[in-house]
Parts: sequence; structure tokens; C-alpha cells
Amino acid sequence: MREDPVSVLSSNTAGFFRFVVNYPKSLVLLSLLVFVGTLSFLPKLVKDTRSDAFLEETNPALVYRDKVKAQFGLSDPIVIAIVNDGANGIYNASTLALVERLTIQVSALPNVDADRVVSLATENNIVGSEDGMDVTPFFDPLPQTATAIASLRAAIDDFPLYQGSLVARNGKATLIAVEMIDEHQVESTYQAILALVDQAPVRAEEKLYVAGEGAIAGYLGSYIDSDAKRLNPLAGVFITLIIIYAFRRFSPGLLGNVIIAASVLMTLAIMAASGVPFYVITNAMPVILIGISVADAIHIFSHYFELQAAQPGRDRKALVVESMLAMWRPVTLTTLTTAAGFLGLYFAAYMPPFKYFGLFTALGVMIAWVYTMVFLPAAMALMKLGVSKHFIRVHKAAKIDVFSRLMQLLGRISLYRAPVTIMVFVGLSVFGALAASQLQVDENRIGTFHASEPIVAADQVLNGYFNGSNNLDIVIETAQPEDLFLPENLRKMEALQTYAESLPHVTSTTSIVDYLKQMNRSLNGGAESEYTLPQTKELIAQYFLIYSASGNPTDFQEEVDYDYRLANIRVTLNDGHFQQDKPVVEALQNYIDQQFNAPGISANLSGRVNLNHHWIKDLGASHFAGLGLALFLVWIVSSLLFRSVVAGFYALIPVASAILLVYAAMVEMGVSLGIGTSMFASVAIGLGVDFAIHTIDRLRTLYQSNNANLQQALDEFYPSTGRALFFNFLAIAGGFGVLMSSKVVPLNNFGTIVVLSVTASFIASMTLLPALIKVFQPAFITGKTEAGNAGIALAKPLSLVFAVAAVSWASLTPPAEAASLSASDLAQTDVPLTDLPQADWIVTQINQQDDGEFVSQRMTMRMVDKQGKSRERETVGYRKYFGDEKRTILFYNEPANVKGTAFLTFDYADAKQDDDQWLYLPALRKVRRISAADRGDYFLGTDFTYEDIKKERKVEAADYHFTTLQQKQVDGQLAYQVDAVPVSTAIAEELGYGRYQFWVRADNWVIFAADYWDTKGNPLKSFSAEDIRQVDGIWTRHKVTIKNHKTGHQTFFDVSDVDYKTPVKDNLFTQRTMQRGL
Amino acid sequence: MMAGALLLVSTQACLAEFSGTWVQEWAVAMPLSDHESQKFESVIEPQWRQELGESHLTARFRVRLDSVGKLGPAVQKPENYSFLNGPWFNNERAELSLRELYVDGEQYGHDYLPDMEWRLGKQQVVWGQADGLKVLDVVNPQSYREFILDQFEDSRIPLWMVNLTLPVTDHSALQILWIPDTTYHELAETGTPYQMTSPELVPRPGSLAAQQVRLFAPDKPANFVKDSDVGLRYASFWEGWDLTINYLYQTLNLPVLYQHRTAQGVDIRPEYERSHLVGGSASNVLGDFTLRAEVGYRTDTYVVTRDTSHGGIAQQAEIASVIGLDWQGLSNTLISGQWFQSHLFNYQQATVRDQSDHSLSLLIRRDFVNETWRAECLALHSLNNGDGLMRPKLSHSLLSALEVWVGADVFYGNHEGIYGQFDQQDRLVMGLEWGF
Repeated sequence: MREDPVSVLSSNTAGFFRFVVNYPKSLVLLSLLVFVGTLSFLPKLVKDTRSDAFLEETNPALVYRDKVKAQFGLSDPIVIAIVNDGANGIYNASTLALVERLTIQVSALPNVDADRVVSLATENNIVGSEDGMDVTPFFDPLPQTATAIASLRAAIDDFPLYQGSLVARNGKATLIAVEMIDEHQVESTYQAILALVDQAPVRAEEKLYVAGEGAIAGYLGSYIDSDAKRLNPLAGVFITLIIIYAFRRFSPGLLGNVIIAASVLMTLAIMAASGVPFYVITNAMPVILIGISVADAIHIFSHYFELQAAQPGRDRKALVVESMLAMWRPVTLTTLTTAAGFLGLYFAAYMPPFKYFGLFTALGVMIAWVYTMVFLPAAMALMKLGVSKHFIRVHKAAKIDVFSRLMQLLGRISLYRAPVTIMVFVGLSVFGALAASQLQVDENRIGTFHASEPIVAADQVLNGYFNGSNNLDIVIETAQPEDLFLPENLRKMEALQTYAESLPHVTSTTSIVDYLKQMNRSLNGGAESEYTLPQTKELIAQYFLIYSASGNPTDFQEEVDYDYRLANIRVTLNDGHFQQDKPVVEALQNYIDQQFNAPGISANLSGRVNLNHHWIKDLGASHFAGLGLALFLVWIVSSLLFRSVVAGFYALIPVASAILLVYAAMVEMGVSLGIGTSMFASVAIGLGVDFAIHTIDRLRTLYQSNNANLQQALDEFYPSTGRALFFNFLAIAGGFGVLMSSKVVPLNNFGTIVVLSVTASFIASMTLLPALIKVFQPAFITGKTEAGNAGIALAKPLSLVFAVAAVSWASLTPPAEAASLSASDLAQTDVPLTDLPQADWIVTQINQQDDGEFVSQRMTMRMVDKQGKSRERETVGYRKYFGDEKRTILFYNEPANVKGTAFLTFDYADAKQDDDQWLYLPALRKVRRISAADRGDYFLGTDFTYEDIKKERKVEAADYHFTTLQQKQVDGQLAYQVDAVPVSTAIAEELGYGRYQFWVRADNWVIFAADYWDTKGNPLKSFSAEDIRQVDGIWTRHKVTIKNHKTGHQTFFDVSDVDYKTPVKDNLFTQRTMQRGL
Repeated sequence: MMAGALLLVSTQACLAEFSGTWVQEWAVAMPLSDHESQKFESVIEPQWRQELGESHLTARFRVRLDSVGKLGPAVQKPENYSFLNGPWFNNERAELSLRELYVDGEQYGHDYLPDMEWRLGKQQVVWGQADGLKVLDVVNPQSYREFILDQFEDSRIPLWMVNLTLPVTDHSALQILWIPDTTYHELAETGTPYQMTSPELVPRPGSLAAQQVRLFAPDKPANFVKDSDVGLRYASFWEGWDLTINYLYQTLNLPVLYQHRTAQGVDIRPEYERSHLVGGSASNVLGDFTLRAEVGYRTDTYVVTRDTSHGGIAQQAEIASVIGLDWQGLSNTLISGQWFQSHLFNYQQATVRDQSDHSLSLLIRRDFVNETWRAECLALHSLNNGDGLMRPKLSHSLLSALEVWVGADVFYGNHEGIYGQFDQQDRLVMGLEWGF
């Protein structure tokens, strides 16, 4: 007997829903238990409003910035600006007293680094004196008399470094910069400072402002909280009202809210459980989920009430089953496409907040689907919802209410001259495409806040009275300690500063050069003309010595390092817009590359402005990639669901035209592509395609039931499905519309744009799509019916999509704890180890050793498990550098059952570019492209990781912070032990190592022993190398052993026939050679 | 040719390598209570590789011994083979054949000739990126005596051919194939477990059971020039993408079963037809994902139809494609999904197969204990027929050269489907492979 899979499936579905309505109490209870159980994770949710959070923790720009911050002790301060618009500005006794009072109070706050509070009350004046130089605090004592105040003013006016940075050039404002010990606690510190400022005794002409990047991060947390507290209930209430209005019943609204709560709260709880923080943009997620999660319920209620109105006497449980059977398919389809849209964002975005936004919104949509499929029918069966009289009346009055009539009218207009409708949309889309090309990427952190917020005014004050609140750091690196005493190096820095100051929006630059000039001037009688750099190395060294005799030795910590090898130039800008700062960053980088970098001295950009530049510059590309991927995923899912590639395209047409229209609108409204707005496309696709899918699905069914009469099908479509879609649209537009009232400006823009695009998608689905179907009569509407079959089709992709979702989920790493750990790691590099060589220098030596332009070698791999059972593999390997690119190929010769297996790798110079890898398996006779394994994955069953194999004898300097631990004689040679700690938790997870200590010989810089610890600090592996000798002048390890302490498994590599001389052909490193064999 | 090669070897006394594999596999029909073995088979494949100056000669032989003998074929030489090809000795319990025999060589930096690499002789050429179902991997015909359950390497029938590769740039090359060998697919013999019965492949001449159905021997092409196949493939590695463009002009590997109505009943006269295949493939790595895709457009396919006017066959163009995504984000784990689709142009309502045909495959694989254990499950599912095949397998590398495994091949679904037709042939498999 042949089973009919179609009927099996549909009877299974019916069976499922019958089961649901037969055990409603248990299922409602179970749903609520799962809900409450998941909620228990919710308290673990943490917020991360730092703008650093937008970059991956391993991003080189961020890692470098953190290194620089640790080196020079820089941070993003909270700044208190004290403004006095009186005649003498801040130069009066009471304002100066206020500065001192606030400085003392602020320094005493918890989490404030008292050593790093900078104000007039903490800074020193440098003046020449008989015995050289006097470094005395400005406020020693607090100037109270007119003379003292006048001399303070003169001192400041004579000290160019402080003008515009510590005191406004017009003398009307001064500031207190407050740095924190732990930037993660910025929110409470900001609140404490606000409280202090509120209580401060301020006179009429004095005003206090709190600003700075620290303040922005601090305020953003509470700002977003209060915004969310206002928005989410508003969205919920709005949607409940729509449901109640549509069905004239309270219960559907209640049930809708349960689904909303499950979707939103469970998603947040799962975020908490997986350690993903709540970012600035995550605020949009609840509102979005509210809109989406209830849409499915609206369709089900609509069908249920229509059935009830038509057949009043029927058993309501049966009606629930019938409604679910009719609606489960389109509801599932729309859920899948919506989830696919958000997953597109997850896959395409490179910034963690966007990635997680995509992933968790997709998850939330899936949760809503599960509750709609299980909880909703169970609860409907339990409550035995009755249809309202109003609904029956409307139903009996030939089923036409005002909304149905509205939709009918829309249909008539658009189908009356279908080709005209199509032409109108083509025209609009062309216009949109043209406009889209004008779209600009821009972003400004302060722009996150509503213009009426005090912090916006404070920021304006900071950028108006002072040099500005946006910092760019240029790190100067020289070859040897004390190279910064060389006048030519300082002159290069001076020239760089002069160049930087010539750029737009740059208001000042500060470095050790300025201090040296000030010292030179003080020591040479204070003449303006002496504000120049000292001429000789000796003189410069002397100046520092003299200064340290009278001043605090840590005074220059922000400008120069302990052994005068590294220096920092801080460039201040008065505008934080990406578009304004971009030319500055690019010009500086260009100057550094073309004119500054030279043997012995180099410069690197860092700091907030550079960091922001880095993450925003790719925003446009990321946006379009996300758009493309979302379109692609939605196309795949809808093609599979409708079993037609063409239908997949039809489903995309309304959203595609909607997106083009939105671009046009953005250009018209002057909205640029920023954090908030760039998210819209994936969301708009995920939501907008629902209308098209319902339309296609319904028209197909109606075409069949109307005996292949397309016109009748269209006539019937508008009053029923059109009406339901209209309410669906209202719910979504309403949900997102609520965002338009958000005070978080990016969210506000986001809401506006999504509403616009969803509206456009809805209209296009109601007009353009039916018009296209009418004109072209595509086969997926008019062809052989496969309506039932599609159910089968659905089950499979469903599992695929789930699989994709599940695996993406599994690959998450909780990034929340990483930052604090990396901070403590960084601290270790500061330990001075004077008698041992610097670890960084040792690593440089290791990495500089010649390993030959090419090499060929035989290698026997022996793998022994803890029972002593051993496996052997004989291989031949080749390696060659093609410029900076390294290519490696490995062939297996023995045993016979793996013979012919080959492994090819292209390792690119750019560390950001993943390796390309291919594997040839003789059993497949095919070269397979494989994903470059995670660096910490074990290489082909050995105890070496891919990273170990790839680095060969070298060490990746960017991955670790190194410390020299000790030295000793080994075999008559000096050897050093170096401790390597991954720079961040993320890197540690990637490598699989929490710590790595190695021994290296000083005569040949070959690592001959090493120990590894796992990320929890347990001993993991031990490595040793023997038979180290020179081959063709290159030191080579011939026997290496690695033992895994956890598994007891060991790997031995015996290397022989090493040859660095015989040239290796270029064409060996090709897929052809893999196939042909050696 | 063999003798010549041997002579060459003996005079040159160059490096020679011998190796081989012995695969022993036992397949038991399910349910196991029937105690019915499907095969108990030893396949020994010795290989000999000889250096000939700059070139290499490779020869591989196959000895197959099956103590059950159910899978066939019983004949000495099945009719799909050309006079150049086919086993040296064959019956249902034993086979002795030359699997492959080819010379690899290359020519670089010649004054007049372009740089090139060649492989001449009996060999397998694999095109495309897909696993399990074939779009472009159609250069060599295949043996279906065990349907698709044995490895493609073993079921692909090597052909005598000229295979030239001309490097164009560092990262691209043009492959030229000339295949005079007129050997085609070998189907499972009538009466064996994997005999094809799906109506998509085998015509059912209506309700004419009473009538006589006569099956004639196919009219096999035999002219090694006129009937030869020609293939071109341009492969390139560009911006991280592995791309190929393929063209193959070939005789279709399955004969077209034309029905001719006569007064007595129906005569089925198989004929081999020719067709052009144009296509391409692409793959790239996107983070932890590897995307693989291939597409092929065939100018002529011959499909079974219920309309008997043209011999019960409709001649149509077809486009087929595969999109596959491999995920390796979790250590030691591979999850690979593929979506195959094929679409017929100018579809006629009477055609037996659907206009669009969709299949999905999912492979989940995980290695354990330093890759000494491997668990995997491969699922193939046809969306059109709702049938499919599940293949769970657990294997263990016992010694360096010894691997053992246990697995199952489970068919399900519509009995008229490609997979479902074998619903009664589910089996449990145990085996070992020893390399020597």
C-alpha cells in the first residue's frame, strides 16, 4: 500500500490541533510554566551602552586603542564645565573656589580615579627660576585676592597648552575632567556627579554642565531605560486597542498580550542567559516584537470569528481546529520569512549589537510562532470565545464593512488599468533607485539624544567654549628607549601637529612637544620667541630631569611612556559627525604614510574619533550586504514554500519597491544612513514580505475554488484577506509608529522609516502584486495545484531554517564579561622587569628569524592515545611565500586508506582576511573548499591547533601580552621564559588558551619548550622540541612532541628531508596538483 | 598498451610504489528477523604507481568477491560497456577489472607548445561542487548496481579519455576532455534489489498488461570519433571564489526508452541520444559557512510521458542547480545542507515527472576523540515525491590503516519515487577497510 504523504501530513496537523483543543488546560499551564521558567534568567540581563560595544572585541582598531589607553592611561572622561559669563569670566574668587570644591568632592566619589581628575585645582604652572624650573600648582594656595587672581590669569594666558583645553580662550569657562577606574560603572558615577553638581552653590552668572564621552555613555543607560519604559506599554496598549476594535471583544486583546509577553520577555531572558548584553539598539527589539508577534493572532482570530458568524451553531472547539488548519500555513510562512529577514541582519552585520539584534529578534519571532500554534488555540478552546454581535451583523450584511469596502476600492482602482499601476510603480522605483545613490552614511554620538536634553546643551558648551569633546590620538613609536630625546623625532612630531592643526574641525593638538616648548620658554626668560624645541638631545633629557626634580613624575604619563620610546599626540576636534571627521582621519593617515613614517619612527591613529571612524565607515557596506542577504534568504524561503522560484521573486517585488521608495524618502528628508536607520532594510523585508505571501497564498487558493477564474478570485480577495491584512498592517505600523515618539533619535528615525516602508509594502502588495498577477498570470497561481503538497515542502525547509538558527545560536560567545578581564590582563604589561629583556623584543626576534622563502619536508605524524594505541601518517609538505602571502600544501602518503588526501592553505598577509583552504579527499575525487577552521580547532586529529601549525615557529604578537619571566642556561645557551596572556577573553576563547608560556633560546630564537593552559586556567598541553639544528643555514626543529594533559593523547612530529634550497614550483600550490597528486 | 608500459618500466628501473585497500562489507536486509544478507563482499584494489622520468603511470585493479551474489550482474560483460571498457571477468560472485590506467605528465616552458598538464588513459573526471546528487558531475557514467549506496569513487565508471589542462594564469586553467569511450550507465540487473522501477525513469505502457511488451537491445553508438564526448572547463580562483564554467557535448548516459505500438503490443527500443550541457559552479567561504553552488543547462533531455505520440518520450531542455551551505562553526562538526532543483522547459502536461523537481540533503557529521570516531547522518529527501534516504553511520579508526564502521541505509516514502522505489531494500551495513 502506498501512503499518501500529503494526506498523512494534513491529518497529522489536524491531529495536532485536535490534541491541543482537547487538552487546553494542560497546554495553557505548560505554556505559562515555560514562560515563567525562562523568565528566571531575566535579572541577569546587563546593559552595555558604550560605543566600544559596536566593535568586535577583537577588532584591531579597538585592541590597539585599548593598548594605547593602558599605555598612556587615557580614558573617556566625564567633563564638568563651569561657565561664568560675567565680566571677568571664571577669574573671580567664588568661581575658583567652586572649581576647587567640586574637584575635591568629585575626587572623593567611588569609582573616580582621584589621581586622574584634572582641573585648575590640580594642574601645575611651569616657570623658570634661579635653580632652573619651578613646577607649582596653580591653586597653591587658592587665589582669593585680586592680585593672586590676576597672576593666575597671566600664568594661564602664558601657558598655551591650557588654553582651550583647561580654560576657555576667552576665560569664561573652565572644566574638571574626571576619569573613572572602571568604565563599566559609568552610569552610577555619572549620576553621582550630577547629584554633586545639583547641590553645588552656584551664583547667578555661573552655570554648570556635565558632558564628554563618559557622560554620554553614562546618561545613555538611564535615557534608554526611561524611553523603553514609556514606549513598550504604549505599543502594547495601541495594539490591544486595535484588536479589541477589530473584533469588538476584550479576550482576543488579552490573549494577544500573552503572546506579546512570551515573545518579548522570553527573548530578553534568553539573551540574559547567553550573556548577551542589552545594547543601545536592542531597545527597538521589544517594540518590533510587539508589532510582529500579534499579527499572526489577528489572522487566526479573524478567520475564527468569520467561521463562527457563518456557522453560529457549530462546536467552538471544532471551529478553533478549522481556523488553525486554514491559517497555520500562511502564519508559518510569514514567520519563516520574517525570521529569515532578521537572520540576514545577523549574518551580514559585523557589529555585535546588530548581529545580536538580528539573531534575537528572529528568535523572538519564532517564540511568538510557537505560542500562536500551541497556546493560542488551547486558550481559545478554553475560553470558548464568542463572536461579537457587531461582527455577525457585519458578516450577515453581505460581509462588507467599511474596511472591506476600503480594500475593495483599492483593488478596483489598481486593477482597473493594471498595466498603469505597474508603470507607476516602475517609475517610482526608478526614482527611488536614483535617490538611493545619493544616500550618505553619517553618525554622531551626541545625536542619539533629543535636542532638548541638557546633555546636548552641555556638549555644545564644550565644543563652543573649549577645543571640543572629540579626541583623536596619534601614537608615535620609536625604535629604542630615549629615542624621543632626539630633536629630529620631536621636530617630526611638531610638523605632524602643525599639519593636524591645519585640518578642519581640529582645534588643538597636545603632546610632549608642547611641554618641552613651554619649559624652554620658562628656562629662557619666558620670551614668546623662546616657545621652541630645545636643539640637542642632551638638553631635552636635561629638561625632563629638571622637571622631575620639581614636579610629579607621573605628570607626563598621558604624553610619553616611561622609557621615552612611545609618545601620544592628542588631537581635539569640535565636531563628532562621521562625515566631518572622516577627511581629518583620512588626511592624517595619508600624511603619516607618506611623510611621517620613516625607519626608526612610526605613527598610528587611535582614540575615540578614529575608533568611531572605523566602525561607521563600513556601515554603508554592511547595510547593503544585510539588505542583499535578507532579500536572498527571503527569496529562498518563499521559493521553497511556494515551490516556485518565480513566486519567490513575486513575493519580493513589493518589499523591493518599498525599500527603494524609503531611500528616496530618506534623501528627501535629509536622513542619513546611521546606526538606527541602517537596520531598517532587514526589518522592512522581513515584515513587508508577509503581505505579499498572504496575498499570493490566498489568490492561489481562491483561483482554485473559483474554477480558475482569476477575476472572481481577485474580487473575493479584497474584502476578506485584504481586510485582515489591513488590520495586520495597522498593528505593525502602529507598533513601529510608537517608536516615532521615542526620544532616542536613532530609534525615532528607525521607527519612521520602518512605518514608511511597511506602508509602502502593504500598498504594493494590495495593488502592484495583484496587478502583476492579473497581467502576467504566472504559473504558480494558475498552474497545477500543489496546495497540499506545499505542506510537505514546508516541513523540510522548516527544519533547515531551524537548523541554521540553532547552529548560529550555538556559536554565540558571551561577550559581556570579556572587557573587564582584558583590562586586568593589560595591567600585567606594566610590570617593570628591568634586568630581563623586554618580552615584546624577544617576540620580535622570534618572528624575525628567517624561515626560508620556501621549504619542502617529509613529516611522520604519530598520534598516541592514553592507552598507548598509536596511529601513524606519512606526509610530504611544501611551503612558499608569495610576497607576504604564505601558501602551504600537505600530501598524505601513508597509510593507503588516506593516501592522496591533500590540504592546501593560502594564508594572507592581512590578518583580517581569513585563510583560504581546500581539502582533497581521494574518496570524493574532488577538491572541497573548506571554511578556515577556528584557530583553536585541532588540526586533523593531532594535538596541535590550526593556529599552532600555521604559525610554525612564530608567535602571533597581536594575540598576546607578553612578559619576560626568567632566564637560565640551557645546554650552555642563554634561554628566556616568556609568559603570554591573550589580549582579550574573545581571543583566548578563539585560541583555546588562557595562558601560554614558552622557553626560547637566545642564540637561535627557536622555541624549544612550552606549556599551555586552557581558558579556565587548567593545565592543557605541554610542548617540546628536540633535534634542533641548522639546515641550509636555517634553524629547524626535527622532532616535536605535544601532550594533551586532559585527554592523555600525544602527538609526535618527526621531520626529515628538510630542504630550503631546491626551489618549489609555484604551480604546486594549486587545486590541480591536489587532484593529480605529487 | 599495458605490455608497452611494463616494458618501459623494466628498462627504466624507476621508483615504483605499490599500495592497496581491502574493503570488506556485510549488508543485511532489514528487518533483521529475515536473516537475509544482501552482500558479503570483499573489494581489493591494488594500485601501482610508477615514475617514468617526469611522468607518472598509475594503474588500479579491482577484485570483487561476494559470497551472497544477489546484486549481479550475472553476465560476463553488461551491454553498457564499450569494446574498450568493461570487466575482464565477471559473474554475480566475482569480478576482475582494470579500474584505472593513466599517465600523468606536464609540459612547461616549451618553445612552441603552450604550457600544459595531461592525464591520458582510463580515468575518472569529477566536475561540480555538489555532494550526493549530480548536476555537472556527469562526465563519467555510473554503475547503479547498488543504486547510489556505494561511494561515487567506486560506482563511477572510469573511461578512456584524453584530459588536458592548460594553465591560463596562476589561478585559472582550461581543461579539455576528449572521450572516445562509448560506455554508459550500468543499471542494476532485472531481478536484483536495486532494479529501477520508478515510472519517472521506466515507462509503463498503459494498462496493456495483456499485450506483449518486447524490450529490444539498445542501438549503442560505437563510433569512437562520431560518438565521442567533448568537454571544456574553465576554472578560476577569483577574489576568494572558486569558479568554473563547464561545457560538455555528450551522449546521454541513459538510453531513451522509445515505445512503439505494434499489432502484438508494445516494443521498447532504447536509443542513445546526444545533448549539450552548459553550466558553472561557484564556491566560497563566508565565515564559518562554505557556500557551494552549481548550475547546468541541458539542451535536450528525454523524459517519459503518458502521451504516446512520440514514442512516449518528450524531448525538453532542462536547467538544474544546487545550492549548498556547509557550516563548520563548531569544532569537529560539519553540518551541510543542499537544495537541488531541476526545471523542465516547455513542459507538457502528460510528462510523468513534475516540471520542477526539488530535493534537499542534510549531512550532519561530528568527529570525536582526536578524529578516531566519527558519527554522521546523511539525509536525502525529494520534495516532489516525499520520499528519501537516511544514512546514519558510525566509524572508528582502529589502527593507522584499519577503519571499521556500522551504518544503515533506510529508504522511505512514495514507492513511485526515486528513493521510495527501494523502500523494501533497507539495510544494515558493517564493514572494515584496511590499507596496505
